[in-house]
Amino acid sequence: MNAIFTCIFLISLAILAIISPEGVLPALLGGAERSLTMAVTLFCIYAVWMGLSRLAEKSGLSRTASKALKPLSRRLFKTDNEVANENIAMNLSCNLLGVGGAATPYAVRAIGELEKENNTFAQKLLFIINATSVQIVPTTVIALRTSAGSAAASDIFLPSLICTAFSTVFAAGIYILGSKKWRT
Amino acid sequence: MAYIVPAIFIIVLVFAIIKKVKIYDEFSAGVGEAVKFTMSLIPCLAAIFMMCELFEASGLADKLTQALSPVFSFLGIPKELTKLVLIKPFSGSGSLAYLNNIIDEYGADSYIARCACVCFGSSETVFYISAVYFAGLKQKKLAAPIAIVLVSTFLTTILACLICRVM
Repeated sequence: MNAIFTCIFLISLAILAIISPEGVLPALLGGAERSLTMAVTLFCIYAVWMGLSRLAEKSGLSRTASKALKPLSRRLFKTDNEVANENIAMNLSCNLLGVGGAATPYAVRAIGELEKENNTFAQKLLFIINATSVQIVPTTVIALRTSAGSAAASDIFLPSLICTAFSTVFAAGIYILGSKKWRT
Repeated sequence: MAYIVPAIFIIVLVFAIIKKVKIYDEFSAGVGEAVKFTMSLIPCLAAIFMMCELFEASGLADKLTQALSPVFSFLGIPKELTKLVLIKPFSGSGSLAYLNNIIDEYGADSYIARCACVCFGSSETVFYISAVYFAGLKQKKLAAPIAIVLVSTFLTTILACLICRVM
């Protein structure tokens, strides 16, 4: 990330310095401003879902729900950490239901837990699964299509499902195979 | 689909009532966690957004789009999607804006718009996720996982454009 950031930053700066040096500062300030707007939007999403997820946690609902997914997550992520497994299970269920906003806090908590046992394999696998999208129902896109007057807003359901399944299985598969090879 | 969200809330609330959880107290405590969590994200977000803004302002983003669109067409990705595909790993709201443009311009049921929808729905904002997930950790070494995700996202884009042609 450091290398990417420095590269893009420096090259863009160099070009701007030639074509419009007075545009540099407004661009930087604009970026900072957009980050705060973004933070406000994100806070709204997290406030709703983290409030709810705390209720689910305190009532023991997330423990019950995660029991179903736990055998899978334990084998896949190779961890016996109860809290981590629970958070991973909740993260995956939220993703599958298409409420990605709710999934993020669980992932962050799971990664924090996994850090304690230094399980970078599971951390990265969880990142890969989330970053390749595991949505069954692409709610946002269907809503957008409906509002644009599509005759068959949900006909992208099947293609999306195939694509999202392909990307997750492909990426997770490569990572698991790759990390096995490096270890032995 | 609209029923999913209210249903989740009702289930959780009913369950919490049964288990005698102090709902108001715990809900606010959860929001408190959200405050801390959002604050911890701001430094990364600010840095990344400044980079994106410079990237756009310098015209580098447009140049890259132009340079890559022949490659994309060769792989079966319509050139109208180039910008969406390039922006998506960086910015969810930015790519959503492009998706909206595409739908408005070509009509929701056109081949291009359907392609765009499938690409959008089956990919994620990779760099944002990596920044958020690993914000608090010291040792990162994310180059390999990020590369794997980007390659698979790209292959999925090609697949999506193929599938949309037949389905």
